[in-house]
Amino acid sequence: MIMMLPFATVLLSALYTWRGHRRAGAGWWWVTLAIYICWCFYHMTSPLNLSL
Amino acid sequence: MLVKAPALGRYVYWLDCLALLGVSAVLWLAFVWQLRLHELPCPLCLLQRVAFAMVGVALLMNLRFGIRPLHYGIAVLSALAGTVSAGRQVLLHIAPGDTGFGSPFLGLHLYTWALLAFLLLLVYCGLVLLSDTVDSEARPRKLSTLARIAAVAFLSILMINLVSTTVECGFGPCPDNPTDYKWLPK
Repeated sequence: MIMMLPFATVLLSALYTWRGHRRAGAGWWWVTLAIYICWCFYHMTSPLNLSL
Repeated sequence: MLVKAPALGRYVYWLDCLALLGVSAVLWLAFVWQLRLHELPCPLCLLQRVAFAMVGVALLMNLRFGIRPLHYGIAVLSALAGTVSAGRQVLLHIAPGDTGFGSPFLGLHLYTWALLAFLLLLVYCGLVLLSDTVDSEARPRKLSTLARIAAVAFLSILMINLVSTTVECGFGPCPDNPTDYKWLPK
């Protein structure tokens, strides 16, 4: 699990958007979202000390 | 060409500028907080920063290519992603006696502020979508001065966050309660 990876992909998304490449910007955003979801499973699946 | 521009619609471009400035300000504040108080962000805090950055990409798309539903779809999903990680962190520390993670800011911890900010962004997207404003085509356009300032503030803090996270965590996972930068001498 590489924590800096979503920062790299979202930066690419922003840079492509800034440069006027909408499809590439949106594509890197999707990659960031996929990594985000994976990282959420890694960090957020331990049980909470709560009754929900 | 703007297809439909009711009252709120005329101001959407400027509202998006302000929203991008707001998102950039949040990321800058979190970074200054990290340096000034030497409070290193935990993995959930870092995920919230990523979610703010993802929302910022959607706002930048609106400024750069015009107002399109795709951009608000991206903003809504990004804000929801941020709501999940911030909400999870609030629940982790919600039990009585828990002092929370990090120092509070104006009475609330940063992750609680983040949760409120993501909810506010969702409300903002809902209101803008209610204005039913859309550009006929997505094509690159020149940024206004305010939009350029917002974009530069946003891109620069993204680069800083990439460097900062790499210095903190290296090319691996971050510990749940980080105390030192992995790539800096102790």
